[in-house]
Amino acid sequence: MLLKIFLTFLKIGAFTIGGAYAMIPLIKREVCSRQGWITEEEFLDGLAAAQSCPGPIAVNISIYTGYHVRGKAGMFAAVLGTILPSTISIILIAILFRQYADQALVKRAFTALNPAVVALIAVPLIQMAKKSGLNLKNAWFPLAIALCVGLLNISPVYLILVTIAYAVFEARK
Amino acid sequence: MMLLNMLFTFFKIGLFSFGGGYAILAMIQQEVVIKNAWLTEAEFVQVVAISQMTPGPIAINAATFIGYQKAGVIGSLLCTLGVILPSLMIMLLITVSYLKLKKLPWFQQIFKRLRLLSVGLIAAALIMIMGNAVKDWYSVGIFAASFLLTWRFKLNPFTMLIAAAIFGMLFGSV
Repeated sequence: MLLKIFLTFLKIGAFTIGGAYAMIPLIKREVCSRQGWITEEEFLDGLAAAQSCPGPIAVNISIYTGYHVRGKAGMFAAVLGTILPSTISIILIAILFRQYADQALVKRAFTALNPAVVALIAVPLIQMAKKSGLNLKNAWFPLAIALCVGLLNISPVYLILVTIAYAVFEARK
Repeated sequence: MMLLNMLFTFFKIGLFSFGGGYAILAMIQQEVVIKNAWLTEAEFVQVVAISQMTPGPIAINAATFIGYQKAGVIGSLLCTLGVILPSLMIMLLITVSYLKLKKLPWFQQIFKRLRLLSVGLIAAALIMIMGNAVKDWYSVGIFAASFLLTWRFKLNPFTMLIAAAIFGMLFGSV
């Protein structure tokens, strides 16, 4: 069973490019429909939990599913499966990159890759802004955060701690 | 000392990033580029590009890549471990008690606020790397084209980046 959990997440980790949002539909299909390890409702609860927890969402959802199926051992098997393809392929790419980074062809590729990457952060930002319930009344808050971090160089760590304290205070009112 | 510092820095990144990959990239930029100066802004953009083109979670890819560049295989394993350790501890707690937690008003309020905070954090990261990566007509054009293709025409990020790489090889000048 542990091996099966490991291999399932290994497959998911190896065949999804583009991060958690590409992985979620695949994880859902594997653990709900194909393996029947958890129900769809349990998965959606797990997804909400994974998005509330700090850290990579794909890792968080692997922890949730692995733990539901086989406790802590299942959790480690699932996490290992999710990150192993990443770790191996990135180390190989990093070795190659070190050798070829100075080649003119690679440099030319990055002249277009760099601005494309900025666009690939802008698009999910818009989607996240929609999902987070952004409206005219609360838009001051992310704006203030962006200014504090971008212009005043305040560490996000302090802003997060203050935000958590403020949210708890709000909820108690 | 360097290795310990890397482990600790990526632990902090994992602990304080809410909302997945892009929030983590924003934290990496803060800690790795601005605070520790382990990477330049231009190298950071390269890390993001490679992380999006490689299978697996973007944050794991970025942590492994930065770790390798700074301290070889040991470095890559330590950075990866650092970034997933907070998940392992906190997600285990949430998994066990999520059904109870989600009914608590303060729990819901924290994540409602943190989701908005992440939007601001990623916006700041975006503005910072934009200044570095989008600076002439050539790069503005590529930015606009990639934005439209992924946003309006739902082209997937991998195809988009491969197309950009080929375009750059053909028409870019260094």
